[in-house]
Amino acid sequence: MRRQNQWSACLVAGLMLFTAAFGLAQNKPKVAFVPQIVGIPYFNAMEDGGKDAAQKFGVEFVYTGPTDTNPAEQLRIVNGLIDQGISAVSLSVLDASSIDPVMKKAKEKGVKIFTSDSDAPKSEREVYVAQALDQDLGFTIIDELAKRIGEQGSVGIVSGEATATNLNTWIGFMQQRVKEKYPKITLLPPQFAGGTAQRAFQLATDLMTAHPDLKGLIAVASTTCPGVAQAIESAGKIGQVIGTGYGSPNTVRSYLKSGAFGFSVLWNPRDLGYLTVWAGKQLIDGKPFAESNAVPGLAQPVKYDPATKVLLLGPPAVFTKDNVDQYKF
Amino acid sequence: MNRKQWLLGRREVTLALACVAASVLFQFLSPYFLTGPNLITILRNSVELLLVSLGISFILATAGIDIAVGGALGICAIFVGWSVQGGWPLAAVLLIGPLIGTALGLVSAALIVWGKIPPIIATLGLFGVYRAAIFLLLGGSWISGLPDTLGPAVNTSIGGVPVVGVYVLLCYLVGWLIIRWLPLGPAILATGGNERAARLSGVPIGKTKFFVYGFTGLLVGFAAVLYVARYRNVETSTGGLVALDAIVASVLGGASVLGGKANLLGTMFGVLLVRLLQNGFVLMGAPSLWEQVITGFLLLVVLILDALAGNRRVNGSRLVTMP
Repeated sequence: MRRQNQWSACLVAGLMLFTAAFGLAQNKPKVAFVPQIVGIPYFNAMEDGGKDAAQKFGVEFVYTGPTDTNPAEQLRIVNGLIDQGISAVSLSVLDASSIDPVMKKAKEKGVKIFTSDSDAPKSEREVYVAQALDQDLGFTIIDELAKRIGEQGSVGIVSGEATATNLNTWIGFMQQRVKEKYPKITLLPPQFAGGTAQRAFQLATDLMTAHPDLKGLIAVASTTCPGVAQAIESAGKIGQVIGTGYGSPNTVRSYLKSGAFGFSVLWNPRDLGYLTVWAGKQLIDGKPFAESNAVPGLAQPVKYDPATKVLLLGPPAVFTKDNVDQYKF
Repeated sequence: MNRKQWLLGRREVTLALACVAASVLFQFLSPYFLTGPNLITILRNSVELLLVSLGISFILATAGIDIAVGGALGICAIFVGWSVQGGWPLAAVLLIGPLIGTALGLVSAALIVWGKIPPIIATLGLFGVYRAAIFLLLGGSWISGLPDTLGPAVNTSIGGVPVVGVYVLLCYLVGWLIIRWLPLGPAILATGGNERAARLSGVPIGKTKFFVYGFTGLLVGFAAVLYVARYRNVETSTGGLVALDAIVASVLGGASVLGGKANLLGTMFGVLLVRLLQNGFVLMGAPSLWEQVITGFLLLVVLILDALAGNRRVNGSRLVTMP
């Protein structure tokens, strides 16, 4: 009788332990990030950062996205994540104009939805995790380019998808900077290459043909960097036309060394992925962001602007042939 | 009958005229359009699509379709890229693309002939498989900054004419010889014209299909070699939607998705017209998005004209004009 009691006590205790452990594992909140496209070095680096943060802050990280830059496909994936009961869903917005219904649905289901890397400023997102101020990015690329071309001449722009908010915003700030500060630089209207290097190559070549005196070419999407750089090399215009873009060191390393690219502007996407998951955890815990946040694992404090609800990683970095080998992403 | 119709087809003439008209317009709008370097650029930008479209024309002639060619091109390009990276001898680098391409083409054929899966479904499935395979093979890091191993064989010119242009012409010549002079030609057209009738009259349907998909694979592999030689970069989106561009060019050129027709010269001009429009729009300073509108519009016009022409034949009178 007593023995039996002991056994059942053990059993009950064991069961309780088991459910507790299981429950804990299940209660580990999930933070998802949906990139614009999977399988490119840039978003891979964000994924790595996200994984590190997930381990550090005790959440589960879900990373999934479209295999081409297709806004409808991205919305379908975000919808699926909301239905699965993920606690916080973040995405790098491909098309800000069609995001509202998904945001509304997330709110109704109590899912924290926020943007990272590319924003939908007019939507109901909880926060936007920004890599660098769009203004700083647009201005930096123009300032650095102006330095190298003697503040005059025509400059072409080859962008990616015409609906990508982040790319269009940067182009807007480039145009603003040129208008305000460099009256002798002519910024040509942007051309859109979609996601392929081949089309970027074609557009860059055609721009150089149409403007024989072209001084610079800006590859706005990271997917357009190889095509633009290769076009400058193939046209034998290294030195005459200075290529640049928002490309990761791994993507542009050989072009910086060949001289086709004078420099490249970006931030550390690993840190951005890290910050995204941290922000997701804060939202789940219901902790508000302070004006300056010390994030464990990031070197610099992270600023937050309550008016625009933007969490800012920091100032953009400029990569040149001299410093590119210090970076491995 | 089909052959006679093919010979009498005037699509290539219409397209050549459209090319001329567009050229005149663009030259009027940009002084840099009708210059030697720009025309060579247009040609160079066309070569991969020219090769893939040649294959697609063969496949469309059998009433088949291959949506997976873009993915296959990407996979071939990865292997070509790796072989360049690994410092393989030129001959080996040149061979590996076409070899893998042919193998992938035969996979499509096997699914369609032995698996009895409709071509659009079989190749749609393969398209997904190939795209995923590209991501897995590359592991998210692009092959970029390749050495110029292929340059001497591909990027040179003979008397101002890029050597790739010669390669493409040779491929089209072979294609024309097959359609026009080999027993395979009528077999291909008969398969697409009426498969049951062709089978009953002893046309080897299976073998014919294996040939067209294998041949397309070969061309796709060769296109991958040219791609790597030119861009010295293989990214995860390599190949992209080239299948759709190739179908557009072939249909513009006079192919029918219902099969039984092949117009190789038309296909050639179809590709050139598409690339010429893309180039011209940038040169005249218009946003490149407009070119997609124009290409789509052109395709619809051609299809509508085809439908009207088809009605005319059904009515048995060639005198009926458009309302």
